[in-house]
Amino acid sequence: MTNASNANDLALLYRVGRGDRGAFSELYRLYQPRLYGYLRRLLPDPTTVEEVLDDVMLVVWKDARKFRGRSAMSTWIFGIAYRKAMTAIRSELRYQAPLDRSTDANAIADKTSPDIDWIRAALVHLSPDHRQVVELTYFSGFSYAEIAAIASCPINTVKTRMFHARRRLKVLLPALAGQAREHDREHA
Amino acid sequence: MNTRKLMPHEEAIELLPWLINDSLSGDERDTVLDHARSCVICRRETKALENLRDSVKRVISPAPIPAPDMRNINARIDALIHRQNLGRRWLSWIAEFCVSPWRIVFVAQTVLLVVLGTAVLWPTTRNAEFTTLTQSQDLADGHYLRVVFSPDLTHARLGVLLDDLGLAIVDGPSERGVYTLATQNSMAVAERDIALTHLSNHRSVLFAQPVDLGAAP
Ligand SMILES: [Zn+2]
Repeated sequence: MTNASNANDLALLYRVGRGDRGAFSELYRLYQPRLYGYLRRLLPDPTTVEEVLDDVMLVVWKDARKFRGRSAMSTWIFGIAYRKAMTAIRSELRYQAPLDRSTDANAIADKTSPDIDWIRAALVHLSPDHRQVVELTYFSGFSYAEIAAIASCPINTVKTRMFHARRRLKVLLPALAGQAREHDREHA
Repeated sequence: MNTRKLMPHEEAIELLPWLINDSLSGDERDTVLDHARSCVICRRETKALENLRDSVKRVISPAPIPAPDMRNINARIDALIHRQNLGRRWLSWIAEFCVSPWRIVFVAQTVLLVVLGTAVLWPTTRNAEFTTLTQSQDLADGHYLRVVFSPDLTHARLGVLLDDLGLAIVDGPSERGVYTLATQNSMAVAERDIALTHLSNHRSVLFAQPVDLGAAP
């Protein structure tokens, strides 16, 4: 993140903190695509995604004054989203996920050409913490230090979570590397 | 000449996911790459991670992002602002009211008066439900007496006394030790008055009165 964009973010958030609805609308439109993508990959139900996204942005509206700029604004907003997503994932695991999680891990691993459902099932087999670190690294492109700030945990914890997630995904999706090579050949 | 310290394998392999998402700082990135050049495991792992990332990204194609719809969030913010304004109005009203010390004194005085008034009136109101010893209670037909006996009067002596006077206990003793005595139906009011006089003079009778006092002819 450049200093200029950081300064712009701070200025925008300062206006939101002063109750500027126009600035909030600008901020919402700026973050809605990223937050929606992030939440949508973690939560299967689009309606829940929109509700959680609005929960996140309501906290941003209420707490904008409290932001001190110790981290980038995106890290702060994703930190709020992380906690809201965690709550939603846990409540889904409690009430709905037996269906998804019932997919046998061995059956996923045996699949020679995993499709979207199998990969989704493999990700569901990761713990919420591990899923989050995979999501934030591979899809949202955060550094380990940013992820530590987002998840409010030490950097070493982020690295350890990623290590376990990688090992689990390798067991669950051993065919992916082969599929990727085939795909590369097809597109060569 | 490369003066960078070689990164240990355990440290480097941990950082590979962030090497491939391009978020390592310049120095750290170079150090990991230096290590990977001389470590076949890290090179293989990097390739595997890239394949994993690409495959996962390819199959989990980003869901279509809907256009921002701020109706819900705007309604929630409106409600929040409304609540905050309501709270502020109350606070400012209280602050405004408390500006004058006379108002505070007035409120304090009123509260004190209400408290004192309640304390004074409350027991009176509660005690208003007492009954007098001569209260009629629908017994005023000339045949009833209310009597309080001395505590030293035994049951046996009471029985003898009542038999002598032709009286029977129909109620009591009440909380205050009052008995209601009835004369025999055939007994005239005059005879009852004789029994009453006898009771009034008896040393074990503390109080005796006809129920219809004032109502009888
Ligand atoms: Zn290595």
